[in-house]
Amino acid sequence: MAIIEVTDLAKKYPLPENKSDYFYAVDGISLRIDAGEIFGILGPNGAGKTTTLEMLEGLVDIDSGSATIDGIDVASHPYKVKKIIGVQLQANEYFDNVSLTELLILFGALYEREVDAADLLSKVNLLDKAQAKPGSLSGGQQQRFSIACALVNNPKVLFLDEPTTGLDPQAKHNLWDLVRELNKAGMTIVLTTHNMEEAESLCQRIAIMDHGKLIAEDTPQNLILKYAAEPPKAPLHGNIEDVFLALTGHGLRD
Amino acid sequence: MAFEINMPTKLQLHLSNVFLKIFLRDRQSIFFSLFFPIIFMTVFGFVNSDEVDPIKLGIVNNSSSVVANDFTQMLIDNPLFNVTTSEESLLRNELVEGNQTMVLILPQDFDALSDGAQLQLLVDAAQLQQLGLIIPLLEQTLLSIEREFRNIEPMFTLTIEDVQARSQRYLDFLLPGLMAFTLMQLSIAGSGFNIVEYRRKGILKRLFVTPIKPRDFITAIVLARMAIVLIQLSVLILFAVLVLNVSIVGNFFSFYFIIILGTFIFLCLGFCLGSVAKTQQAVMAVGNIVIFPQIFLSGVFYPIESMPELIQPIAKLLPLSFVSTAMREIANNGASLLSITPSLIGIAVWFVIAFVLATRMFVWKEVAN
Repeated sequence: MAIIEVTDLAKKYPLPENKSDYFYAVDGISLRIDAGEIFGILGPNGAGKTTTLEMLEGLVDIDSGSATIDGIDVASHPYKVKKIIGVQLQANEYFDNVSLTELLILFGALYEREVDAADLLSKVNLLDKAQAKPGSLSGGQQQRFSIACALVNNPKVLFLDEPTTGLDPQAKHNLWDLVRELNKAGMTIVLTTHNMEEAESLCQRIAIMDHGKLIAEDTPQNLILKYAAEPPKAPLHGNIEDVFLALTGHGLRD
Repeated sequence: MAFEINMPTKLQLHLSNVFLKIFLRDRQSIFFSLFFPIIFMTVFGFVNSDEVDPIKLGIVNNSSSVVANDFTQMLIDNPLFNVTTSEESLLRNELVEGNQTMVLILPQDFDALSDGAQLQLLVDAAQLQQLGLIIPLLEQTLLSIEREFRNIEPMFTLTIEDVQARSQRYLDFLLPGLMAFTLMQLSIAGSGFNIVEYRRKGILKRLFVTPIKPRDFITAIVLARMAIVLIQLSVLILFAVLVLNVSIVGNFFSFYFIIILGTFIFLCLGFCLGSVAKTQQAVMAVGNIVIFPQIFLSGVFYPIESMPELIQPIAKLLPLSFVSTAMREIANNGASLLSITPSLIGIAVWFVIAFVLATRMFVWKEVAN
């Protein structure tokens, strides 16, 4: 059953050099994300991944098309949607001088919920840092903490924007384990990533975006078979990186 | 959107409690922001002390008559003068060096029988301004001494009574204005800087993906910041009253009532600035545009009435004018809230304007991104 349905979603921005002209950051994408999946959105920089997430989260206005989460229309009921989603943003600085426990209590208050901070922190393996300030955490710990913040309302859908960017391999695997655990407990997870290994091993289905358009959407295995398959009979050798490069080309982006 | 100001909800109170804790952590800035007003008050407290320095008067008594001696003694006893009696040449030197303000020379023939004896007054013309005030004073004193000698009943005596029946120093006048000014600055900076800092850190964006409404966020921040400002002002007022002996004549609750309304106004205006300005530098610049004219035009350091007629009507409409006038009326004249209705109406109007502006201008989508 689809928990997120996106139809012809589009977002245009004025061009920096010519304000009267527009470019489409997201150019009419349609998606169905099932309840209980880990869904990955892949794409080069500027492909429109973050804008897509931000439209679903209600951070950015939807110019055309529609999106529903758990049957609620995002554009017309943003506050209802916000109550059932958890969001981890790329930038995750917090108030100075406030401990992790206090921050979780604050985030709980924003949802008018009592929060068991210790329980949340132990979920993300940060219980020993309960009184620490976010600034003193390592990169991996900060990412795990911002996931804890996104969990205060026990969301149906968890959005993660490039959760493993900049993490070392240990921290990365640790975070994947956390995502799998949350998913096992029934949470739908939508994440964006540059990391092919992440897309391949963590996500159950992936969508590849380029220039604001959706150019492929399937399970990693199917995509490999379709775009990077070895000759028949031979064991599968290609990987999602081959798929990605085959679809988006080798040119440098940024 | 209908305008309404409700009592804070449970959510807002809870949030403001959390923000209060956050703000209280930053003790350094809370106390450093008190540094300037305290220095300011202390300086004015000492410069404008109650007592007028006695005039330094040198007397050269060339007469040995009883009258001359009594006359000298009366001047010595007069608290207005600090008298030195000595030789003429010596006192002349002291006058030139600035150690005497003036030197009075009593002639040889100065006695009870003398008629129109010539008293000579040596002055330093460089201190002309002061002399303009002193000479009539001296003349008065000499005349009344003469009357006493000649046993002439004066036609009248003049008793000067302060109708406000209390001693007021400039510092007493200054304190309410300075409090109003300080609360404006602390409030505008408090909310304006917070918003810009939270935006820069991405905190606003993070808050925006939670279901909190701008109104709840603004109310929570305003209440928490207001608590901080009230603590800061109370420290200043305590310091002024206990250390500098400033008197607040009126009702303390009325005084704080105005402080609370004023703080609310400027916190909301700070929110507007924070919503418009995108960087700390910009919020500082825009903040100064709001703050500076009000320092000079709002009767903080001197009464609005002393300004050019043309500016007065505009100056009187500034939010700080209403607040500082109301605070001064209460602190200096013991006015009741009822008797300062015009100021209260002005404050109420600004209260509504500031709140509506803040809630309209603070739009999550625009402020957070």
